[in-house]
Amino acid sequence: MKKLLLVGLALVFALVAMAQITITVATGAVGIELELARLAAQMYMDENPGVTVRVLDTPDMVQDRLGLYLQFFEARSPEVDVYQIDVIWPGDLAEHFVDLYEYGAAEVVDMHFPAIVENNTVDGRLIGLPWFLDAGLLFYRTDLLEKYGLDVPQTWEELEEYARIIQQGERATNPDFWGFVWQGNAYEGLTCDALEWIASNDGGTIISPDGVITIANTSAAEIIEKAAGWVGTISPTGVLGMAEESSRAVWQAGNAAFMRNWGYAYSLGMADDSVIKGKFDVAPLPAGKSGAGAATLGGWQLAVSRYSRNPEVAADVALFLASYEMQKMRAVDASYNPTIMDLYFDEDVLEATPFFGRLYDVFINTVARPSTVTSPNYTEASTLFFQAVHSVLSGRTDAESALEELALDLEDLTGFEAVIDF
Amino acid sequence: MPRKKRIVDLAAREQKLSYKLIAPAIIVLILVAFYPLFQVFYTSFTDRRFAAGVDEEVSFIGFENYRSLLGVTIMELHTVDDPDTGEATIDPQTGKVVYERAIRVLPRSPVRYRELMQFSFLGKRYVVGARDPVFLTAVWNTLLFTFFSVFLETLLGLGVALVVNSKFRARGAMRATMLIPWAVITVVSARIWEWMFASSRAGFFNMILNRLGLSDGQTSFLTTASLQLPTLIAVDVWKTTPFMALLILAGLQTIPNELYEAGQVDGAGRIRQFFSITLPLLKPAIAVALIFRTLDALRVFDVFQVIMGNRMFSMASYNYYQLIGNRNMGLASAIGVVIFIFIAVFAVIYIRMMGVDKE
Repeated sequence: MKKLLLVGLALVFALVAMAQITITVATGAVGIELELARLAAQMYMDENPGVTVRVLDTPDMVQDRLGLYLQFFEARSPEVDVYQIDVIWPGDLAEHFVDLYEYGAAEVVDMHFPAIVENNTVDGRLIGLPWFLDAGLLFYRTDLLEKYGLDVPQTWEELEEYARIIQQGERATNPDFWGFVWQGNAYEGLTCDALEWIASNDGGTIISPDGVITIANTSAAEIIEKAAGWVGTISPTGVLGMAEESSRAVWQAGNAAFMRNWGYAYSLGMADDSVIKGKFDVAPLPAGKSGAGAATLGGWQLAVSRYSRNPEVAADVALFLASYEMQKMRAVDASYNPTIMDLYFDEDVLEATPFFGRLYDVFINTVARPSTVTSPNYTEASTLFFQAVHSVLSGRTDAESALEELALDLEDLTGFEAVIDF
Repeated sequence: MPRKKRIVDLAAREQKLSYKLIAPAIIVLILVAFYPLFQVFYTSFTDRRFAAGVDEEVSFIGFENYRSLLGVTIMELHTVDDPDTGEATIDPQTGKVVYERAIRVLPRSPVRYRELMQFSFLGKRYVVGARDPVFLTAVWNTLLFTFFSVFLETLLGLGVALVVNSKFRARGAMRATMLIPWAVITVVSARIWEWMFASSRAGFFNMILNRLGLSDGQTSFLTTASLQLPTLIAVDVWKTTPFMALLILAGLQTIPNELYEAGQVDGAGRIRQFFSITLPLLKPAIAVALIFRTLDALRVFDVFQVIMGNRMFSMASYNYYQLIGNRNMGLASAIGVVIFIFIAVFAVIYIRMMGVDKE
């Protein structure tokens, strides 16, 4: 009798295992992203015992991640069901994802920032569910500004000056100290940083939304030259190889006065093991000629693969991950900007990350990269752009030549008209 | 039945059997080598996109991919003349003659040429324009990388092989330890080196140089143009010298001891022995090792990709960038074919020069 029971039990287990649906979610692993995703996956599994949610971590660098995804798509692989996709990808990748409106997304989209929903909609199809939003921010050391009697810099000139003053002073005791760290490697992050400089200096957004290549202009050249002047003076020469995490490493070790980064660096810097805990704050990025700072719109969406074996379940997982509760958890625990508007007025969120409320204007007035107008060639357009900027920053060419060449390259790529304004 | 016929029959049957026996090998070769190769050749004549949508059309474009990779032109640059005197302007800061900007001279239609380099010849200034200067630079980087890394690896490998070939205690352990760098996965070792070359004193080399008082500890090995290639070569030499040493060691062990004894009897010193006995007899082993390493170095990918990303390309990492980054599968295939041709040419040259096939 006992034996029979055991066999029966084994049979039941086997059946359960077979009925178990596995959903794989490809997410990022920057900062504590991966832990958060695993936590959320576990919560989903607790609620839905029939489903196993597997979290696949993917490369930190945006193009590397895209490369991995493209290999899955080329093979039409059902391996990954839910993809975390960058705000710049819906246009380029729309053909590989399902329309989330067919899976019940219509009920929730109204909670999210309309600009992002619009960004994620291609030909009336909702490609990605907004998951979190990002905007370029200026991190500054409150203790050092106070020590040297300085205010939060409002313009790039002020930033330059203050960074120099603090760096000079701090070098006496800390030879590894630098004024300003940012993302200068030749990769998508540099496109974000450089777009912020240019947009804040009235230099446009590389390609205007109506399809004119505007990048070759004096204001853009001027501010890129200015940034090139930071390399080796207020920023280490190694900044030309830095991405988000490498610049955060310098910053969080207490070796920088200012940093340009995304919001995720806030809660990590405020963690107990951080030497700068409680010694820094966040402000909008400085302004150039335009008189106002600009923040590049970043952020990630959840999209469901067309090649998934269980698109309904996958969409349900995506809806769960992007829900109010999950976004709230991510905002409170890890300062990920929610895409749900109400969360910016949620008391728990504001207590954990006070700057969300203060910088609400920054988050709703971000500058988008020209991904929609250049789709499906955005990646190549962006590569041309960051390569051009990188060549100026590393002193291989001057900004005017680089931008003129870039404008012609973009003309070849997109077929849009280039305006050269030098 | 005449006897002769039977023999012919037997021979024919044996021949048939031999075909049957090699058939599996041929089929495997066709499936895993020729078919993909043919596929790459074929794709290189199309404008196919990587990870394209289901209903995207692919068209045949002939040699266009090759033209866009390899197209070059040379144009003369004129001096910027002073409108009043008609003489060439001289830059007051550098004291050099000012030439017109290359971007104004290079042709833009029907296809555009970008500046690759400038040079002076017989008192005139010329600009070399290329349709894809990045690719040509990648080819140049790869050739430099190959030459210097293989050269250094051969020299060091020979030295290491000679040392571990001599008799000393714990020789077996030494030989095993020697192989460690080669056994580490390149992506992993490249990451380790990337950290060691970090641009602050957190990096090993900056820390050492700083302690020795040779630098301020902020040298950026991986972003300074003049240090990038030497750094990559250093990493590769560290990694692949053991492989070279291993191949040469195998060659060393085939040299009979009697030759050295005979040399000693004839009064040849150590150095003479090395040049008259060791080196000539090692030639085939070194040739094989050189071929392996050169062909491997020509298609170097991982070190460039991990350490340099988009800052600097080898032929293979540019191929990856065009395929994955830009999704130009046709163009990427053409790059693959170009790499293939490069390697084939080098292989033929080596085999001819070293006389390996005559052994």
